[in-house]
Amino acid sequence: MQGNRLYEGQKLALKYFTVAIVLFGAQLLFGLIAAIQYLYPSFLFNTLDFSIARMVHINALVVWLLYAMIGAVYWLLPDEAGVEVVGVKLGTLAFYILTAAVAVVVLVYIFVQVGPGNEMTLWLITEGREYIEAPRWADIGIVAVVLVFLYNVYATVLKGKHSGILVVLMADLIALAGLYLAGMFYTDNIAVDQYWWWWVVHLWVEATWEVYVAAVGGYILIKTLNANRQVVEMWLWIEVAMMFGSGILGLGHHYFWIGTPEYWWEIGALFSALEPVPLVGLFVHVLYDWGKERGKGNSIKNIPAFAWLTVETFGNFLGAGVWGFMHTLPQINLYTHGTQWPAAHGHLAFFGAYVAIMISAIYLAVQGKAGLKEMKMTKAGWWAISLITVGVLLMTVSLTLSAYTQTMVERGMHGATWEGYFIAQANKWFVQGMGWRLASGLAVVAGYALLVYDLLTVTKKQPAEVTEGEAAVQTA
Amino acid sequence: MENKPTSVWTSNRFWRRSATWITGVAAVLLILLTFDSMGQMQMGTAEDIQNKVTKRIPSPVVINYKIDYVLDPYRGHEVPIIGGKTVDSATGKVSSKFEEKEKFFGRDDWSEEEARALIHKGKLTIQAKNCMDCHTLLGNGAYYAPDLTKAWLDPAWSSEGPLQAMTGANSKEEAMATFLQNPDKYPTHERMMPNLGITPEEAKAVVAYLKFMSAIDTNGFPRNFGKIKGAVDARK
Amino acid sequence: MFEPCTDIVCSFWSMLNQGPMTLTIILHTLIVLPMIWIYFDEKKKLQSGE
Repeated sequence: MQGNRLYEGQKLALKYFTVAIVLFGAQLLFGLIAAIQYLYPSFLFNTLDFSIARMVHINALVVWLLYAMIGAVYWLLPDEAGVEVVGVKLGTLAFYILTAAVAVVVLVYIFVQVGPGNEMTLWLITEGREYIEAPRWADIGIVAVVLVFLYNVYATVLKGKHSGILVVLMADLIALAGLYLAGMFYTDNIAVDQYWWWWVVHLWVEATWEVYVAAVGGYILIKTLNANRQVVEMWLWIEVAMMFGSGILGLGHHYFWIGTPEYWWEIGALFSALEPVPLVGLFVHVLYDWGKERGKGNSIKNIPAFAWLTVETFGNFLGAGVWGFMHTLPQINLYTHGTQWPAAHGHLAFFGAYVAIMISAIYLAVQGKAGLKEMKMTKAGWWAISLITVGVLLMTVSLTLSAYTQTMVERGMHGATWEGYFIAQANKWFVQGMGWRLASGLAVVAGYALLVYDLLTVTKKQPAEVTEGEAAVQTA
Repeated sequence: MENKPTSVWTSNRFWRRSATWITGVAAVLLILLTFDSMGQMQMGTAEDIQNKVTKRIPSPVVINYKIDYVLDPYRGHEVPIIGGKTVDSATGKVSSKFEEKEKFFGRDDWSEEEARALIHKGKLTIQAKNCMDCHTLLGNGAYYAPDLTKAWLDPAWSSEGPLQAMTGANSKEEAMATFLQNPDKYPTHERMMPNLGITPEEAKAVVAYLKFMSAIDTNGFPRNFGKIKGAVDARK
Repeated sequence: MFEPCTDIVCSFWSMLNQGPMTLTIILHTLIVLPMIWIYFDEKKKLQSGE
């Protein structure tokens, strides 16, 4: 075991990654239940209804990504700063508190499900606001844990080296944490409610999370390709400029139809139309660096991590960029808003932009934990990445077909009524899209099983010449 | 160690300063826009209705009025109409008259306080029962069940509609409240709404919220709501 | 030339909203234009060997 070469912060990162992968499994399981219910509505009816399955599905997603994001920061922080993480004990305590809280919240979701219509339910059971359903007590707990995390990051960076990657992360994480506060209050006014709700949801996934990905992606490039730090950091700043430049006011594309003034049409349409641009930049950047290093005859230090980073760049551009742009103009969005369109976009975007890079970071940690200088792809790893990627792509295409049908039939032809809704839901094209979605979901679950297996065994299956004469990767 | 950049375009400092500037200005613009939007999105009062002032989010006392959703050629999309409409002959602009009343659970004199309490309860119930993880409200939520933005105006719930007849109730609001309390007893399709233990008070409050929500100005979303009848699928 | 505002409330921002592009071009200009100044400032520093 070479594990003792790790920083304490990196050991904490491994804990975060472990819970993240477990929650990823929960996300897929509940997604599968919801997908089955679209085709067989009596499945678990009045026991574990669609609303509950779907809530656990999306909450597990958000929480596991946050776990993996915190984990990746704890992993790279001591490495980049060159010093041990300050307050790592406090960080570990926070980890256990957070994990206990998440477990309680999920159990309450599954076994209590809903409550009477009063404030108490919002405090103890659910806030009933998509993505951030966590009850208020958990909100406060999350804020406390995140404050500990932020303190650790800031204190460590101030003590050690201030690399460009760390500076971007510090600024980004404080914005990310601060934004959560915008989703922690109650109002009777549903328009105001959704206005601030989008501050959390959009400014997370289309601004601060994207910048986070750019920073961590830069770190992974340095680690896997030995990419030139100065070039990586230059690109990072360009990406920050373009992502925040388009993403912050791109928030407007959620303000078309919720009781907001009409000027948001234009702001939302054209700022968010630019959101794919930095994603293309990221994509070109990774492939360019790859080509350059190969030209010099340098090998990739961690092939699975780099492969997932490539999936990330493709997926981010296609899912967040192209699929987002397809329905971001208000004239289109008037008909696609509230249909399967955002579901198609959401699946590929979350996978492409965040899931792939987090798996990449986890592979990096697996390599670091074993102290391997280089890590090759195994057969299981290859099947895992192929099944998951192809599965999500097929899922997106299926949902897009269903979405077209729903948009045209329910919205275009039937004027969005109750009757129109069910006519579209029964349309053959819609139903078959849902069928393909379930099939592709099964492929993703199979890929997930292989991924877990591979993460546990990949270091033991390396060819002999790689494992010989290892030097700790992270202390180089 | 750092290589000296030969051009500003490859200078990290140039991009860092630009990124800082761009982020700062975008954030300031968002805050300014938010102040302006928040001013327009505050909930109206009974006084506004008295004075015939149109608000994006009207006072909850709109539950005393007849609500409609009609095309406004001046704004180029449909707008909610509260208590009857007037048409400006010069511009074609359609506005609410705030006159024509409609009974809600047998009354059309809900005071502002009562109406506010009702929609307060309604909103809490909507959150407590997780409506948003099957339905969409203002188009946001999950896509497993119909959008509720203008559900109050849905022809299926009108006196000629199949849903009102199904519950055996005499009015739209009673039909909706009956359905909400025991949705699995009134299956409309294979896909049903589960029983969420909604009490009679909660059901009444939720229906009040639906009526109030249908009067929110959503810039014409959803389009053509309930206007198209007898459309035929190209191919099922 | 000048499009009258048709929104419920005609605020400063609705006035700038003159159909597609106008408002966004104004906002984008505000955001991007000062980069020219940053560029020349950096160029000066680069030439003076800072």
